Amino acid sequence: MDALINDLIAFSPQIIAGLKNTLLLMVIMSVTGLFGGIAVFYLTLSRTNAVRTWTERYISFFIGTPLLVHLFLMYYGLPEFGIHLSAFTVCIIGFTLNVSAYNARYLMTAYHGLDKMELEAAQTQGFTHPEIFRLIILPQVMRLSVPSLTNQVIQNLKDTSVAFLIQFPDFFAQMQEIASTNFQFFKTYMTAGLVYLALVSIIVIAARRLERHISLPGFHI
Amino acid sequence: MALAKGAGYTILVTIASIGAGLAIGLLMAVLSRLQWKPVALFLAVYLYVFRSVPVLVLLFIVFFGLPGIGIRIPPFTSMVLSLGLVSGAYLAEIFRGAMSAVDQDEILAAEAMGMNRIQSFLYIILPQMFRMSIPGMINEFTSVLKYTPFAYTVGIPEIMKEAMSLAAVTLRGVEIYLAVGIIYFVIYKLFVMFFMVLEKKFRIPGLAAG
Amino acid sequence: MALLEVKNLVKKFDDKDILKGISLELHEGQSKVVMGGSGCGKSTLLRCLNLLIQPTSGEIIFKGENITRPGVDVRKLRQDIGFVFQHFALYRHLTVQDNITLGLRKLKKMPAKAAVEKALYELERVDMVEHRNKYPAQLSGGQKQRVAIVRALAMDPAVIFLDEPTSALDPQMTREVVTVINKLYLDNITMLCVTHDAFLAKYISDSIVFMDEGAVAAEDIAERLFYDHPDPRVRQFFLSVIDHR
Repeated sequence: MDALINDLIAFSPQIIAGLKNTLLLMVIMSVTGLFGGIAVFYLTLSRTNAVRTWTERYISFFIGTPLLVHLFLMYYGLPEFGIHLSAFTVCIIGFTLNVSAYNARYLMTAYHGLDKMELEAAQTQGFTHPEIFRLIILPQVMRLSVPSLTNQVIQNLKDTSVAFLIQFPDFFAQMQEIASTNFQFFKTYMTAGLVYLALVSIIVIAARRLERHISLPGFHI
Repeated sequence: MALAKGAGYTILVTIASIGAGLAIGLLMAVLSRLQWKPVALFLAVYLYVFRSVPVLVLLFIVFFGLPGIGIRIPPFTSMVLSLGLVSGAYLAEIFRGAMSAVDQDEILAAEAMGMNRIQSFLYIILPQMFRMSIPGMINEFTSVLKYTPFAYTVGIPEIMKEAMSLAAVTLRGVEIYLAVGIIYFVIYKLFVMFFMVLEKKFRIPGLAAG
Repeated sequence: MALLEVKNLVKKFDDKDILKGISLELHEGQSKVVMGGSGCGKSTLLRCLNLLIQPTSGEIIFKGENITRPGVDVRKLRQDIGFVFQHFALYRHLTVQDNITLGLRKLKKMPAKAAVEKALYELERVDMVEHRNKYPAQLSGGQKQRVAIVRALAMDPAVIFLDEPTSALDPQMTREVVTVINKLYLDNITMLCVTHDAFLAKYISDSIVFMDEGAVAAEDIAERLFYDHPDPRVRQFFLSVIDHR
């Protein structure tokens, strides 16, 4: 065990840099994915059939295909056309497209559970469709989706670990680096696992507090 | 074609992992009914750990790590074990949710007519639980499918690995990965369709899924 | 001139005639109740009048303007027509007070403070001020409906439409809500109410329109319509809905 601890100390600058990258990626894609998800959800409510159909197809495609394929396509495929994107850019684009699709799905599910009479009431009051979306639909579906949306943040954190497969120096990439120099694969990867466990725990605690903070009577989440 | 052969492996890994996940998930769900403290604690820890650690990290622990403490597991088994443990945790949660939605009075009624706990579980709870779990199961199987590309990292010749070698030779990455994406999408659609058929076949009025 | 004049209004859904040429008038300060069996088209009528449903043909003249013609500002029109629903349709994520001020602030562009004052003034009228910070889930059905009425009232509309306002309530709550609407009636608020509740109709109407199979079958004051109308369809309907004790 001592050897591993020594290694961890010796590699600590890289590990910290890796952790920073992992958290940065998670935070960015959680934010872009949230706004992307809201935008996509808005499109699913469009009154134009074609918009709805294509939005549904987008969601379905990104939910039905692995993230890794999208990342590989952009990272290893695009250079064929002279487009060289950094691993970081590829991650942000790929993750955002993916997470948006998932978040939109959650919001749609919550939307199906809404009392449509309220929307009709807003219409009779004279609100426009964008206003109804912003003032009535969004505040309700967001509240109802909090568990799914925070689960997605946890998922995001875990999914950042695939970034190392396209050479992005995230936390797991650093641990992999350490393992390949000290050959203590088991201990090193276990340590990595424990770190993810700890990070997830922090998100879980934060999510519980958020849920309590925004819960309202009549919203059982 | 190499991709088609790879797809075969992908489907194989997916089905094997789903099978492992279902077995683990079901076992956990049954255990959760025991309401025995040590078991409950074990379950809580199991669910927490395997829903928190990324599949890729778990796969690396199993395949690259375990030999370090003298346990050697072949690539395919490593993949299935990792994915099975993770999806088992999620499925256990889905099953538990569905079980708690079963009307308690029905269970009481079953006991009142003389069924023991195993019988009431088999004949009353299980059939309802499965039907109500279908949407959750579809989601979980979709994520299993989407994690199978990790299998290439331990050398299983599934689609992703084939695609990578193909891309390296032909330098046509975009077309190849696009094709891979489409193949995955087709497999995904087939899975969903299969479940829809299953759901229709076993549908009971008033027992809506989800 | 009538505030609202409906001429030969027709609504078809997939070739099925829901409204078969309805004509009626509503004057300022007048309160009319539309009654009829379920499926007679009375709810559809109400929704056609604020263009929530597009009528197939016919004219709706509101404040002298034909609103069935294209280019009508639907948004503005609806702000001028309050609407009360059978199932209250309060916004679940907003408090009682915010349910009322939302329209005032966002549609009437009232400053927040003035909107709150207005809301409290209106809530006072239905004896709901003390509940202003509660959420809809914390109210009884009768209280919800009182808030819904205030929400409509606060916009100072030219007319209030009520769609079966007591049908989702038990007798005790119904009495509560009828009292409130009766107060509006006595204050000469212009109302058009759809209901099959004869108790409500009697206490809030200047006259009652009886609809049958998408057409107006009779119109008269409550007493004459309820007890000895020459038309057998009318007699039969009221025989079934009135509690003869």
